Amino acid sequence: MSKSPGAGMYPPVAKLNLAADPRKMRRIIAEDPEWSLTVVPLLSNLCLQCIVRNFEEKPILEELLPRHKDYVLERLSPSLPLQVTANLISDDGYWKRCCKQRWGLCDVSSYGHSWKRMFFERHLENIIELFIPDATDPKTVLGMVPLCRNYVKRLDISQLLPPIKEPQKSEDDDNSDSASDMGMDGPSMDHFDFGILLDKLSHLEEFHVVYRVKGCGMNFEWNLFEFTFRDCESLAKALKSCKTLRVLRIHQSKVDDEKCRQLVNNLLDHPSLRELNLSHNLIGDRGARAIGKLLNRSKLESLTVYDNNIRGPGAQAIAYALAKNSSLLSLNLRLNRLGDEGGQAIAQALLKNRTLKWLHLGGNEMTEPTATVLSQVLVQNNTLRSINLSCNRLGMDGGKVLEEGMCHNSSVVECDIRLTEVGQESDYCISQVVRNNQNQAHTKHNTEENLAQTSEHY
Amino acid sequence: MSQDGNLREDTEEAVPSVDSENPEERIAARRLRIAARSEAKKRQELGDDSHEKKDIKEEARKSQHQVEQSEKRMIKLQSDGTELVTNIQVAADSRESQRRTEVEEAHRLRVEKLENEAKSSLEKFEEITRKWTVAKMKEIPQDLRDSLSSQQQLCALLIEDKNKLIHELQKEMKLSDDRYVKDLKKQGEDVDLMIERMEDQVKFLMGSYRDELDQIENSFEHERKILLTGNRKKWEQYMKERQDKELENVMQRMKRVEEYEVLLQQLRTEDAEEYNMIKIKLDTDVQILEQQLQQMKATYQLNQEKLEYNFQVLKKRDEENTITKSQQKRKITRLQDVVNNLKIKCANQEKQSREENQNLTDDYTRIMQQYKHMQKKMRHFAAIDAKKFEEVWLMNEEEVKALVEKALDTDRLVHEQQLGLAWQRPPLAFMERAGPEVYESGAGLESGSSEVERESEGSGGEHSGTVSVKMVKKLLELLCDEAGFLIESKLLKLLSPLEKDEQSLMKLDSIFTVSYTVTAMCMLCHLPQAERGEFTSSCSPTSDLIHPNDVLVALRAFTAHHCRPRSPSMLGLGGREDTEDAAYWEAMGDVIPEAKLKIWGALETALDKYHIVLTERSKFITDTQSLKQQNTELRMLLHQYVNSRVGVPVIASRGFVSRMCLLI
Repeated sequence: MSKSPGAGMYPPVAKLNLAADPRKMRRIIAEDPEWSLTVVPLLSNLCLQCIVRNFEEKPILEELLPRHKDYVLERLSPSLPLQVTANLISDDGYWKRCCKQRWGLCDVSSYGHSWKRMFFERHLENIIELFIPDATDPKTVLGMVPLCRNYVKRLDISQLLPPIKEPQKSEDDDNSDSASDMGMDGPSMDHFDFGILLDKLSHLEEFHVVYRVKGCGMNFEWNLFEFTFRDCESLAKALKSCKTLRVLRIHQSKVDDEKCRQLVNNLLDHPSLRELNLSHNLIGDRGARAIGKLLNRSKLESLTVYDNNIRGPGAQAIAYALAKNSSLLSLNLRLNRLGDEGGQAIAQALLKNRTLKWLHLGGNEMTEPTATVLSQVLVQNNTLRSINLSCNRLGMDGGKVLEEGMCHNSSVVECDIRLTEVGQESDYCISQVVRNNQNQAHTKHNTEENLAQTSEHY
Repeated sequence: MSQDGNLREDTEEAVPSVDSENPEERIAARRLRIAARSEAKKRQELGDDSHEKKDIKEEARKSQHQVEQSEKRMIKLQSDGTELVTNIQVAADSRESQRRTEVEEAHRLRVEKLENEAKSSLEKFEEITRKWTVAKMKEIPQDLRDSLSSQQQLCALLIEDKNKLIHELQKEMKLSDDRYVKDLKKQGEDVDLMIERMEDQVKFLMGSYRDELDQIENSFEHERKILLTGNRKKWEQYMKERQDKELENVMQRMKRVEEYEVLLQQLRTEDAEEYNMIKIKLDTDVQILEQQLQQMKATYQLNQEKLEYNFQVLKKRDEENTITKSQQKRKITRLQDVVNNLKIKCANQEKQSREENQNLTDDYTRIMQQYKHMQKKMRHFAAIDAKKFEEVWLMNEEEVKALVEKALDTDRLVHEQQLGLAWQRPPLAFMERAGPEVYESGAGLESGSSEVERESEGSGGEHSGTVSVKMVKKLLELLCDEAGFLIESKLLKLLSPLEKDEQSLMKLDSIFTVSYTVTAMCMLCHLPQAERGEFTSSCSPTSDLIHPNDVLVALRAFTAHHCRPRSPSMLGLGGREDTEDAAYWEAMGDVIPEAKLKIWGALETALDKYHIVLTERSKFITDTQSLKQQNTELRMLLHQYVNSRVGVPVIASRGFVSRMCLLI
């Protein structure tokens, strides 16, 4: 009685003295099938221990019995060279230990509950993020390819280092920067070339990249955050060569119209691309036009271009594509400068479109005319599920028009009209309608679930 | 101690671990685990049941209601919380967009300002450059200095303007730097706030989730309690009922057991007595039966032997039977075959004979026709023959008559010329007759017979004429009665059901046939008249009724009637009598009687002799004549010879010689 808390408090001390540890003296432990009181270990165990010790020189695993295999895997060191382990060990337990040892904090759920995938993805990301052009040997990356190509499905590159040799000539002016990029200092500013990597990763589905330097602190310089034209070219070619890519995200990388066009040109008719995210960039109307072109020459389901500089004409181009599109489900244009011109165009397109479900038009300087067209959309379109109009000055009249539109709608389950100056009454009415729709959808969902359950049950 | 106990309790209450040091605790942990497993299993089963039972669902409505309510509340809370958190983002967005508009505006203003400034400075610069040319024109140093100083002033002004502008811009930059820092700070604050709110939200949500969970649990617990108490009450009630019943049953049983024991004792004693009696009786029975058994065994032995023997015999017979059976079967099949063959043959035969019959009938009809035809022809030929006969007759008669006449003539000549006797013509009556008289006599006979027949008929007709219809009937009836013996008994039996008239008719028919045969037989046998008459009188009742005088006539008529069909061939040809004709012709031949013929013979001979003489005389005459001629010739020759030369005599002699020869 008095011992149990004591043992719980000092387990290592108790383990030193075999006799003192009551667990060690037990003849049977129901939960541990390998437990035995015999002091002399089994020969097979000795052999297995030997295998574990010499695993690096002579990896023997597949030939073993399943029981022995577990035993070996449990005891293998996580610091074994990857050349040995990568394609040999598929057991998640081992890779879990590797991950835990290396990073400590891990969330395996975002890696499809595969520790091995997590290990290799993060390993490759680390290598690329620490890659310094001209200084690091590209073989360090290429050497990893045969080891990890089968396990890497997503690459989330959160930084890309520029070459160490800092061009002294560069000035603060953007123009001179780009000129120098094109000029003699050009090669030295380029980042890691993805062309050598992406076409070799045959299972890559998601690719996130940010052309910036993390944690530069007081060493900040503009040219650390540069996405050169050559970078763009190589990246675009690499993306084109990667046929399995589903999700592409390029954040905060100063992608301007020209680069956007270059990227889009190479992404046209991509066989598997479903999601494109170009948020926090400098895309203007020409880039938007290129994106509009891409919309109908790919199978995009989700397009996110918030926090860019798209204005009316660009929005019109996107709207024109949207009217003819039948694959896009989600469109996010938050924090652009669409104005009434672009807003109306998008809304007009929605009158024809029958696939779009989520639309975000927050912070786009839209006013009452857009609200009028949108109310029409609400009446006619019954595929739209969610619409976000926050931070647009719709005004009292716009709110009333929207309220009328919402009264005839039964599909929208989310409608964000915060900070739009629509007046409390309209706000309340709209939220009421949305709640009704939600309830209906919920009951519908429940009944469907019940049906599914009963059908399963029988 | 108490602390320890508490601690232990706590640990047990929390989670009794299987890894614990205390064996009891481990046991408890395992028990708990097993219980949890079995409960899970039970729950699964119950869950299956509950799916099927809707009543339980109905009862569980309350808890479900609670769950739904909680869900709704939680969704609301969540959305509210999300809104609260996102409010910051939205505010930041709006601020950012506002900032952008402001920046844009400022940018526009700045550009405008810069452009204005550039324009004005350009003007100023142009003025300065213009003034340079003016200054170049100046000759006077003082002026030049003035202008230079003025230029310097202007340049300073321009530079000052520019500097001012730069200053302003720098100020703006500083401002915007400040603003950037402020924004950063603000955003940092926002982020902090957001994190704080999120944490609050998480905490709050967690708390509310827990509350809701507690509430739901409470409601379930409550329901469970209600159910439990209800069930327990029921259980207790049923248990009590059962207890009472069991008690009652036990009491009854005890009572009954006692009763049965008494009864059993009684029965046992009775049965023992009975058993003894029966045992004795049965023993004797057994002895008797054993004896019988011995006897029966002996008889059995005997019977067995007999039966064996019989069995053997029967077996043999059976074998024989089977053999004969098979033989018979074979025979039957063979005979069946024969029968079939015969049947086929018979059918063929029938068919053949039918065909033959057909052929024969055809033949018969044809022959009948031929026969009729033949008769017709015959009649025709008979007529022709008669005619021919008559003609031939007439011709011959004529010829004969001519011959007779010639003979008579010759006779007359012989008599008158040779004998010189007077000839008298013999009476020749038949010479007057012409044509076949005999034929006419046959016809007359015929007609005579027919006349007789007619006569008889007439007499019959007279008879029948006198006898009325009534009479005939009566007569026939009499006939029937009298000649009843002629009718067969069978016929009588057959006729009995018929009417009287018909009966008599049939009877008559049979009688007549019989009597007819009898009479026919009599006629054929050429019985003597008297006998026949007797016979007819005795056997044919008809003759009784015919008068005795008429019998002969009737019979003749009858025969005539019956012979007629047999004698039509004699009608034309056989009816002639040759004797008369022969006599007739004889008479013709005997026109010259025997005596005369003798005379004729003698005469002939005499004449023959006379003839011969005459022929000799004629011969002599001729001879003498020839000799006379020869003489004359010779005389001539001699004369010639005498008168002629010597050479010629050879030839002449030769001719002479030949003539001489000839004469010789």
